[in-house]
Amino acid sequence: MFDPIAIKSQFPIFKKKTPNGVDLIYLDNAATTQKPQQVIDAITDYYSGYNANVGRGTYWPATKATGAFEATRTKVKDFINANSLKEVIFTSGTTDGINKVVNAYLMPQLKPGDEVIVTEMEHHGNFVPWQQACIKQGASLKMIPLTETGDLDYGAYDDLLNENTQLVAISAISNALGVKNNLEYLTNKAHAVGAKVMVDAAQLVTHEKIDVQAIGCDFLCFSAHKLFGPTGVGVLFGKEELLSEMPPLSFGGGMVKRVTLEGTSFADLPAKHEAGTSNISGVIGLGAAIDFVNSIGIEAIHTHTRALTDYAIEKFSHIEEITIFGNPKDRTSLVSLAVEKAHPHDVSAFLGERGIAIRAGHHCAQPLMDYLQVSGTCRISFGIYNTKEDVDRVVEALIEVRDFFA
Amino acid sequence: MNERLKQLYKTQILTNAEDQTYFKELTEATHILEAYNPMCGDKYTLYLKMVGEKIAEASFKGYGCAISRASTSVLIKNILGKSLQELQAIIEQFMEVINEESEKSPESITADEELLAFAGTREYPERKKCASLSWDELKVNYPSELSAGNSEDLELS
Ligand SMILES: Cc1ncc(COP(=O)(O)O)c(C=O)c1O
Repeated sequence: MFDPIAIKSQFPIFKKKTPNGVDLIYLDNAATTQKPQQVIDAITDYYSGYNANVGRGTYWPATKATGAFEATRTKVKDFINANSLKEVIFTSGTTDGINKVVNAYLMPQLKPGDEVIVTEMEHHGNFVPWQQACIKQGASLKMIPLTETGDLDYGAYDDLLNENTQLVAISAISNALGVKNNLEYLTNKAHAVGAKVMVDAAQLVTHEKIDVQAIGCDFLCFSAHKLFGPTGVGVLFGKEELLSEMPPLSFGGGMVKRVTLEGTSFADLPAKHEAGTSNISGVIGLGAAIDFVNSIGIEAIHTHTRALTDYAIEKFSHIEEITIFGNPKDRTSLVSLAVEKAHPHDVSAFLGERGIAIRAGHHCAQPLMDYLQVSGTCRISFGIYNTKEDVDRVVEALIEVRDFFA
Repeated sequence: MNERLKQLYKTQILTNAEDQTYFKELTEATHILEAYNPMCGDKYTLYLKMVGEKIAEASFKGYGCAISRASTSVLIKNILGKSLQELQAIIEQFMEVINEESEKSPESITADEELLAFAGTREYPERKKCASLSWDELKVNYPSELSAGNSEDLELS
């Protein structure tokens, strides 16, 4: 039986009070999630119990560290249903993974006249790297517009695709609107014109089962820290044939076969793309985070956060002065809203005093804010430890805010 | 609602945030500055009309939270009719009022209620940028911006 209260008790931060002496109601999960004890322990255990570099030493504890590190690769492979361990590359996060695809995959082949497609709802992390690559190479960046409901305009997408399209980069779930995109459709259509697809799964990873084979995407990135894991570590999935054709994502130690004065031959996948010492404790922490999620079940998490989203929307929609942004067919995990006459930062400051952590601002999605014609929104994003009571507290607080600024 | 926060949003701030007196474009402006906080998207355009050494007219347009809007309005009110030299002193004074590390109590810095209202941000360091947004812009950009019309300065630089 899914019990958010029991789950919450595994997160030490919730035993603390805020400086105002109240309980923390954490509703900024789209920014980062809290960490359960077992993830914190896994990181501490590595540093205090078997700290060593990986992939090199033949002694204990290097062997144990390497084992724990590589065990995470297997967990990730199963978690996203990759074909092989060669398709799982550790990065420092979503942004790092995207930049690596831009630099090692796209840039070497992008030329004037080529096109890259992104969406109007992208996080800057999945927008600026493509934009800069296009500017540098004289290619053009195309945007899939949104319809009035905040859904992608799939018809417009079909029209954008052509034989010049090199790559389509899309968020699985918008971090500012909670819109879930139809990844299979987008991928199939892109492949039909020979374009590659990169999925930004930063928001998807904590809310839904990822199956890279079912999606069919060529690349997919996520960060551990939005999946109850540590910061500074993430995953880049790439199809094996692409990762092996591509030049290394970066150069250095650990990714070579043989180095001479004249040249270097590179290691096989996945080592080829992991130059230098990785974030070992981070990777081990990610492994523990995946174990944690698996112990609850990603489907159960999905059902829970979606039910909270629906509940919140129902409650907020009774307050006349609240505007909810977007009304997409498929919304999950978060709600973006505005309170009449109260600026988002004033709202979040008031909620903060009550121990309610929500996010105000542009959510690193300025093109989307332009589309919504606002400078920012208040975003309430759910995690497994949230409850309907949390939503009720938010509703009470929003009513007070409304009355204060009325 | 929490008392501490209510203090911060004192009626002074709410009143000034809604005040429309200086909320307009100034077509005859000699200097236009933009105060922008990329972290939150708050953005104000400050219009100044310099006559000689004095700020003869000033106004602003833009969008932001109650605190940044009120502080911009109060800024404009305070610099009207002032010389550049006086402007500097006014900005310094305000910065001291909101500086949580200042050894002086806000009341010992100024008796102006409208300025004192922002002393509340001493307790909310994360809102300090809201209070100082437009002030910072003027502080940083007035030496070059406001002397842009002065060809002697330009030649020297
Ligand atoms: C949709 C989306 N893409 C990319 C990112 C960037 O992730 P990171 O900062 O972990 O690299 C985020 C994080 O906010 C996100 O929500």
